[in-house]
Amino acid sequence: MRILKLVYLNITFYLFFVIFSLVAVPGLGTFVILCALILPRRQVLRRLRRAIVWYGTVIIRILPFPLVRVEYKNYARSEGRGPFIFVSNHRSSSDPFLMVCPCLSYEGIQVVNIWPFRLPILGIVAKIAGYLSVREIPFEDFLAKTTKLLKEGVSIVVFPEGTRSRDNAVGQFHGAIFRVALETRKPIVPICITGNENIPPIGSAFLHPGIIKIHRLKALPWEEYGELEPFKLKNYVRQIIIDEVAAMERPV
Amino acid sequence: MAEQDIIRMTNEVFTESFEIPGDKLKSDANIFNDLGLDSLDIVDLVVALQKKFKVTIRDDERVRTIRTLGDIYNFIQLIKTEGNK
Repeated sequence: MRILKLVYLNITFYLFFVIFSLVAVPGLGTFVILCALILPRRQVLRRLRRAIVWYGTVIIRILPFPLVRVEYKNYARSEGRGPFIFVSNHRSSSDPFLMVCPCLSYEGIQVVNIWPFRLPILGIVAKIAGYLSVREIPFEDFLAKTTKLLKEGVSIVVFPEGTRSRDNAVGQFHGAIFRVALETRKPIVPICITGNENIPPIGSAFLHPGIIKIHRLKALPWEEYGELEPFKLKNYVRQIIIDEVAAMERPV
Repeated sequence: MAEQDIIRMTNEVFTESFEIPGDKLKSDANIFNDLGLDSLDIVDLVVALQKKFKVTIRDDERVRTIRTLGDIYNFIQLIKTEGNK
């Protein structure tokens, strides 16, 4: 039965993934090109980023359902329109798609490693949408670009571990985004993800049935963290995420 | 400079600048994986070490090879010895 479920999940998911992408991506491309003909660049980018979020929502919440379910809890219901700096733990290549849950209402970009930019088509779309490949730009450029985006009202999603955790433990954080937060004084929103370590596991494209839990915690306003040094701040946020992940994984 | 002084002063830099507890400061501790520093923190570390030991190490290429706390002790010892020549 377990193997049947696994086979069914992967055949249906990847089949519909390809069909949906073949329809959605050219459709999205045409829509953006049409928008670019009549709208200013800023508005085109806003629409493109929103479209990416809706594309991701279908991919992660609808296509694998009901064998993969996403349970999303928002502990910060009324914190305004942002922009925010979303900081999440990182276990699986599905994490960037899962960010559509906390970011559904916001215009946002993601800070990614080098490899997502190498994905066919999706990598190009991410580049056009202004996603940032943190390892390919010096910190000064990263600071300038993220500051500009935040000023424009664009939220930023970051996985400060930089790479997926191999043992589910939350790895050490890189501090670049926390220096940006201290500079721009924007609220930091910790995001905790559990249950997706096998959706898919590292080194595999096979999705396993399961329940993914995502908790969006209360935002940390600058008034709360502004006194901290960058090193202390990143570890402060890391500890918040570690504690919440532990609570999420505790047997009921 | 005595080895024990270098170890004590280097550890002080880690506790004062990064608030890392003393029990984590072991010679074989990897400054990235175990102590959690990143490439940007290294810049702050270099500044703090320069201030503490009154040396100039900012442009020293050997900083790039440092991985453990023990590497820092040895590096400072080397810099101090070179400075006394």
